[in-house]
Amino acid sequence: MRRLARIPAALIAAALCTAACGTGDAVDPGPVASGQEATPPDDRLDLDATANVRAVLEPTSLNLFGTAGAALDQVLLDNVYEGLLSVDPDDGDRIVPRLAESHTASPDGLTYTFRLVSGARFHDGTPLTAADVVWSLEQQTAPGSKGVYAADFDAIASVTAPDPATVVVSLRQRDTFLLWNLAQRGGVVYRRGTDFASLDGAANGTGPFTLAGWNRGATITLRRNPDYRGARPKVAQVVFHYIPDPNAADNAQRTGQTDVQTAADPTLLRPFTGGGFTVLRGTTTDKYTLAFNATRAPFDDPDVRRAIRRAIDKRDVVGAVGAGTLIGSAVPPQDPWYEDLTGIDAHDPGGARELLARAGFPDGLAVTLTVPSIYPRSIGDVLVSNLKEAGITLTVRQVEFQTWLSRVYRDKDFELSLVDHAEPRDLVNFTKPGYYFGYADEQVREWFAGARSAASDAERDGLLKKVARRITEDAAADWLFLNQTHTVVREGVYGVPVAQTSNRYDLSALAVAR
Amino acid sequence: MTWYLVRRTGLLVLSLAAAGVLVFTLLRLLPGDVAATIGGLRAEPERLAAIRADLGLDRPLVEQYASWLAGVARGDLGRSQLNGSSVGAELGRKLQVTGPLAAGGVVVALVVAVPLGTWAALRSRTAVGTGISALAQVGVAVPTLWLGLVLVLVFSVRLGWLPAQGFPVDGWADPGAAARALVLPCVALGLTEGAVLLRFVRSAVVGVLHADHLRTARATGLTRGRALWRHGFRNAALPVVSVLGLQLAALLVGAVVVERVFALPGVGSMLVADVGNRDLVKVQGEVFLLVAVVLVIGFLVDVAHRLIDPRLREPR
Repeated sequence: MRRLARIPAALIAAALCTAACGTGDAVDPGPVASGQEATPPDDRLDLDATANVRAVLEPTSLNLFGTAGAALDQVLLDNVYEGLLSVDPDDGDRIVPRLAESHTASPDGLTYTFRLVSGARFHDGTPLTAADVVWSLEQQTAPGSKGVYAADFDAIASVTAPDPATVVVSLRQRDTFLLWNLAQRGGVVYRRGTDFASLDGAANGTGPFTLAGWNRGATITLRRNPDYRGARPKVAQVVFHYIPDPNAADNAQRTGQTDVQTAADPTLLRPFTGGGFTVLRGTTTDKYTLAFNATRAPFDDPDVRRAIRRAIDKRDVVGAVGAGTLIGSAVPPQDPWYEDLTGIDAHDPGGARELLARAGFPDGLAVTLTVPSIYPRSIGDVLVSNLKEAGITLTVRQVEFQTWLSRVYRDKDFELSLVDHAEPRDLVNFTKPGYYFGYADEQVREWFAGARSAASDAERDGLLKKVARRITEDAAADWLFLNQTHTVVREGVYGVPVAQTSNRYDLSALAVAR
Repeated sequence: MTWYLVRRTGLLVLSLAAAGVLVFTLLRLLPGDVAATIGGLRAEPERLAAIRADLGLDRPLVEQYASWLAGVARGDLGRSQLNGSSVGAELGRKLQVTGPLAAGGVVVALVVAVPLGTWAALRSRTAVGTGISALAQVGVAVPTLWLGLVLVLVFSVRLGWLPAQGFPVDGWADPGAAARALVLPCVALGLTEGAVLLRFVRSAVVGVLHADHLRTARATGLTRGRALWRHGFRNAALPVVSVLGLQLAALLVGAVVVERVFALPGVGSMLVADVGNRDLVKVQGEVFLLVAVVLVIGFLVDVAHRLIDPRLREPR
């Protein structure tokens, strides 16, 4: 009797599964809108609206000064806190004015003078002055600074305030990255004397939104700052809903619990193609980087590294994850020093075998890949089959992210590693001697240093192009793809950020129709 | 009974102490640490060392354990090393979600298991009994994750009756909204647990039905149903209560899955996030409290046994 009972059970289970498991098979994201509809005039907007936005990663803390993590930047940067400058990811990463209305550089490039906007106030009502800017930058440059981005400002010799609306930054040596770094979170201006440990309880920025509440594990609420100096936000409130599971996020968007779904899974976009929603596609800085441990044989041989690069068909990888851009180097197209390097060591299994034979492995090679389990398993599957064609047997070892951090990143105990290098403009990693790649090239370091102290942006860009080309030719790593990000927007919602949405998410244009 | 209570309480305290040591040491065996979460990929080794020193992570483990234990003894479970939030206060907030979720899950499980299990036992040789047993098999086999997704697709996406995910931002301020948010999660959790329980109820009732005392009761002229009601259920309840106690621990594990599917800010999702961030002071407070809950439930189940079954109270 017991045995008999199992048969209908299995049948019912199988039938149920075919009925409901069919949501994950679509790879083609369907039509993606080329742009957003223009925001209608204010009288057709609901200026009292609350906009609900799905995000993936919740910040671990709200201490923007001392705690790492793009999730903090996403919610706080530009919205709650502001720097002298900002970046517009939807306009090719153009540096734009923020708390500084203008800036000038001396001809020798050693002195930058910033003119502050008038009327800027902290959320507690205190007017912002140059003294606050000086104090904030000094927290970054102070010896032993706890600032996450303190190292960005090591060229600064002094910061002074000749008058309450002017800030002068003096450098020890020219720094072509200074303006960019000031536009990141290291350049955020805090009220003089802020106790950074208290930022978790009470935010005090100058931005168009105030922090209204953090319901840990679920939501962060921002409220319109009524005293903002510039154009006031077009929604009264924005609630970030932290929903890690892609299916739960899809359901929230389908049922109207969220108005905007950032970082939608490209293989789960089918429900949003029927009307009522717009799907936007933007670029990111997420470089899925296959690193070789160049300090360990046989990966100290560039031929072995190049063989592995040739063995991998990046289009297969993109097909497996649903969307992505082939970059062929560590530089995404939005950076001024981008160059299409996908032709170097392009997919060529035969060539890979030849390189391996030349390196002394005519019968192939067995290697192990260590990859954090947060990434799609399908990437590993593609790599296994791609490498097999070139005679390389790949074992994929999935580990928790913290294990990756200690085993691969800190202890350098790995052969191949795959991780998303999400930070913008991080070419510097290929010049760090002790970095986990183990890649060391004196010429690359020289070019990079030269780029930083270059006399012009053109000279800088030229040198950085050389760096990118050299690390690609040397196969310092392999770059599988640059992630693309998909945002699903409910009809009647306007002004949604499109590109690099996990790094910063400026809400000042977000609007909801009546 | 008093002596039993004293002994059983002593055992409970000992178990709690052992759990405290285990939780603390096991967490220290995990690779990675909270300094890496705070400092990020850019942090140089010196910076990471400074963060560890700030947090007191460079102290000997025994010292760290002693200061944690002293806190626990005072009722203070510590603070998050990432954002300074009080572990006790945050657990309190999360339990406002997970507590009702687990309780609702048990209610659903009992509502499913007791009547259906009894019915299946009474009709054990008929199509109805077999059908119920088959359904229970399906229920045990179906993953909670999948069941949750199906429930959402039907009742939220298609019918629009209930929210697809999440919990109201202001918690139980609007009890109706909070309860609505928990209906599908409770059903998802309860159905799977109920299916397990159903099989125990059925076999317990079948066992009792064949017991001598029930046959005697029938001989006095009672119908099968009345005999079971008067003399059977109390006996059948014993193994079911034991299993229910064990299932409560399973329910907490199931809550981790359900909270993810429904994006609920409960204890389960908090634990997963905190372990990922290596916020160990917070994790050990949370795990310790959960272990304590399970141990106390075991304690209560044992005491309940004695109350239900007078035979256990007799000295041997």
